[in-house]
Amino acid sequence: MKVTICIGSSCHLKGSREVVESLQALVAENKLEEKVDLGGAFCMGNCQNGVSVKVGDEIFSVTPETVKEFFEDKIMSRI
Amino acid sequence: MNDLCLDVGYRSLIKYGEQLCGDMVAVTKSEDGDFILVLADGLGSGVKANILSTLTTTILSTMMAEHISVEDCVTTIAATLPVCSKRAVAYSTFTIIKITDNEEAEIIQYDNPMVIMLRDGKSYDYPKTEKIIENKKIYESRIKLQCDDVFIAMSDGAIYAGVEQVLNYGWQRENIEAFAEACYDRNQTATIITSLLLEQCDLLYGQKPGDDTTVATVKLRKRKPLSLIMGPPADPKDVNKMMNAAFSNKGRKIVCGGTTSSLAAEYLGKPMQTELTYFDPEIPPTSKIEGVDLVTEGVITMSRVLEYAKDYVDKNERYDEWRKKKDGASQIARMLFTEATDINFYIGRAINPAHQNPNLPITFNIKMNIVEQLAQCLKIMGKNINVSYF
Repeated sequence: MKVTICIGSSCHLKGSREVVESLQALVAENKLEEKVDLGGAFCMGNCQNGVSVKVGDEIFSVTPETVKEFFEDKIMSRI
Repeated sequence: MNDLCLDVGYRSLIKYGEQLCGDMVAVTKSEDGDFILVLADGLGSGVKANILSTLTTTILSTMMAEHISVEDCVTTIAATLPVCSKRAVAYSTFTIIKITDNEEAEIIQYDNPMVIMLRDGKSYDYPKTEKIIENKKIYESRIKLQCDDVFIAMSDGAIYAGVEQVLNYGWQRENIEAFAEACYDRNQTATIITSLLLEQCDLLYGQKPGDDTTVATVKLRKRKPLSLIMGPPADPKDVNKMMNAAFSNKGRKIVCGGTTSSLAAEYLGKPMQTELTYFDPEIPPTSKIEGVDLVTEGVITMSRVLEYAKDYVDKNERYDEWRKKKDGASQIARMLFTEATDINFYIGRAINPAHQNPNLPITFNIKMNIVEQLAQCLKIMGKNINVSYF
């Protein structure tokens, strides 16, 4: 499963790095390296609602505070 | 003209306890394109020395630009400088480096430490002719230039560095020569050579310079063009026009900004691959597009580049931060400050609605401001800058 995190200006200022690091840690913790492919992207055109994270074709708004919840609801549930 | 250009970097340390520098450097270009650098060291220190050296550099650069003979220049200076009431002399030393067509250098020296010339990284003993004008012993030299030749002019503060502190006789010219040879790297810019020497002087003086100390470096180097694209054009119909203009240039290409890089990838018909590695926690990761040398985020990265640029033309204290790091801002800094000589900016004026939020430090005005200030700093570094807006 491809999970893409936006690292454009707007999302960066809203905490892309924290979201990336948390997701990398969560993927490692749950040993999902084989199943979840984390990647970056510049601007998904959804700047107002950053940090934008794309799972499949769907774009979600994630913050450093909600990343754990997001991981369980939207990633773990789809595996 | 040839495919060479001149790179200049100079800076002074002010005598401890003084507010004004008694050394002065002026760089001018004459109407027919001659490059003229004058370094003068006024008698004494503080206000008096500052006035003497300012007068000297101004008179000499103006007269040299008009091709007036050395004899007349020196006579004018002797007749113009105010006489010091305490010492009953009018005095300022000077070094003139005049370069014509990037092919020949003319060096005129009076009482400053002799200019050090490096050719292929080794000190080169250039011929000098002695002349007496107005009882002053003046040395003249004419040198045919080669690519990567370096000239280092200095005031006597450099060779007195460390006297009676850590060294018996100061940091003598041959020591400085050996140091410059040891530090030599073909890719070094004039600013970096100047900083290395001045920092060493400051160290020998224990951060309390006993005299105004100035180093001015001129380097003849190959031209290297670079194009930097940032921001989508105000009118989406102009995307191709903007990309055509940028990508038809020779030399390296940098694309900054998320939307802009998507447009560049589309224009080139190549996919964009974004990394997720943070080499600097505050700078977003870079991307890759075939045909582009560097792809980065826009405003945050460029704000950092601007900070580095302002420091580089001032005290150059942050050089170690960007010298080797792999984040986007450090890479841009290296490409712009140390490699490129002719830089074309292609700036799109589209307004990103998501950025017009008072809580975000990345509004449209800030972006335009960064470009203007950065262009200004690059001009101070001696680069040829061209900014086109779309």
